[in-house]
Amino acid sequence: MAIKRGVSLYSYQQEEWFGRWTWRDQLREVALNLDGADGIEIISEATIPQYPYPSEAFIDEFNTEMARWGLQATTLDAFPDPLQFRRDHVMNDAEMAERLKIDLRLAKKLGMKNIRVLGNTIDSVKLALPLAEELDITISQEIHFPSPIKRDPNSQRYNKIMDILEYIEKTGTKHYGFQPDFGVFRTAPSDVYLGYYFRMAGYEEYAEHVKAVMEAFKCMSYEDLVEWAKKTYPKVFNGGWADGELRPASAAPEELKLIAPYIYCVHGKFFHMMEMPDRPGEYEDLAVDSEGAIRVLKEIGYEGYIDSEYEGQRSQQDRGEAYLASEIEEVRRHQKMLKRLIEEA
Amino acid sequence: MYDSFLVRKGSLRNFKEDGKVAGFCFGVRIANYRGVFLSLHNGYYVEVDGESYPVALQRFGVNGKPPRSFEELKNNAVYEHWDMQDEATLYIMKEGGLTPGVHRVGILESILCSYGRMPRDEEIVKNPPVPTPNVHGQGGGGSKTTDVSYFDLELQE
Repeated sequence: MAIKRGVSLYSYQQEEWFGRWTWRDQLREVALNLDGADGIEIISEATIPQYPYPSEAFIDEFNTEMARWGLQATTLDAFPDPLQFRRDHVMNDAEMAERLKIDLRLAKKLGMKNIRVLGNTIDSVKLALPLAEELDITISQEIHFPSPIKRDPNSQRYNKIMDILEYIEKTGTKHYGFQPDFGVFRTAPSDVYLGYYFRMAGYEEYAEHVKAVMEAFKCMSYEDLVEWAKKTYPKVFNGGWADGELRPASAAPEELKLIAPYIYCVHGKFFHMMEMPDRPGEYEDLAVDSEGAIRVLKEIGYEGYIDSEYEGQRSQQDRGEAYLASEIEEVRRHQKMLKRLIEEA
Repeated sequence: MYDSFLVRKGSLRNFKEDGKVAGFCFGVRIANYRGVFLSLHNGYYVEVDGESYPVALQRFGVNGKPPRSFEELKNNAVYEHWDMQDEATLYIMKEGGLTPGVHRVGILESILCSYGRMPRDEEIVKNPPVPTPNVHGQGGGGSKTTDVSYFDLELQE
């Protein structure tokens, strides 16, 4: 057994949004063009028509297409939306659990083995756990940037991940765990996001500036980097979203060992695949430590899926149709990298 | 997200009610990678040729149903979904509609979706944020687009 490769259809969100590719086309792409990848993860409210009550015809067709291509359903990504009942109140834990139960039943119908949760409260997940056990579907807390993994003894900050770990170890549940996202292991700001923020600040030429910020990230402390960036590019780094790009990794790959037995799926987050200077035809993402993460996943004997989760498209939509990123090509390159890193000794 | 694609070119037209032109409308898409329950939709900041049109003048046409106010969506579309793939129609009540020719339309969507509970949730229930160009900067919206997007649209027959 080895680590398996899959794709979150989140990666093809832009093709879907523009109506160029349906979920059927996306399944076919994974089955035919990714050299052995066979996992499929979906976003509940993107792929499922008329969520949360799709037609039986959709359920049948989805299962038929999955079987036709020999694909495995890995994970359903669910959302709580605490303001759904804002006509009179904020969603409480019991209601959040009810929504998760709807998603669990949907996941079961679609053959999914796991549900990804992110903002759901721990108490709401506890209420949904009996159904998860009955349906044999794991509920995985996504560990998404800027979430830490380990508890920082010098910080009073609430650490949801370690609280969940304590609960799992205390109860021995086999249906509550984690879905780490490689985005927490960041090694540099993403060049495509930096490019976006420079454009928003009115820059026409910015490739050198993007490179400078990425280099500065590597050799400065966070505090120095922020000070330098604000001084050098005051229109870009001014307290808005761009400042977030300067933040350091929120966890180290070694920390995966803390939660090793409870990892039920992994998001292979990436932003921009570039050809490696010394290895033509091979690709890497300079913003994410995929190599370190996969090395640790192999060490701990992880045998589940890493699902490609491409997120570089959003930062390239401001320039119009001609400049849209190719999600299809990006995922192909990412899968090539995953295969290489999984198979390399 | 999708800032320059949120309004469909060629979709601006006047509409009639009881035989009279009651306003204008155009096709809109969601600024997100997923759809949402319609109760989360808090309306739009809309301006046309520099004049803004508050949410009270807006109606939303989606899922093949007659146009509804955002108050109606908040109260009664709690389990009805706006799918990510679907175009909706945003109606603006304006007696006589727009004049023929090209109009500059600016919109900013205010959908109150989020990844989890936020400190301002209780406040938002009591006093929903008014969609304005800086509403997202104030933390009032969960949308993936933070700036007003502008479109030059020719009024169709």
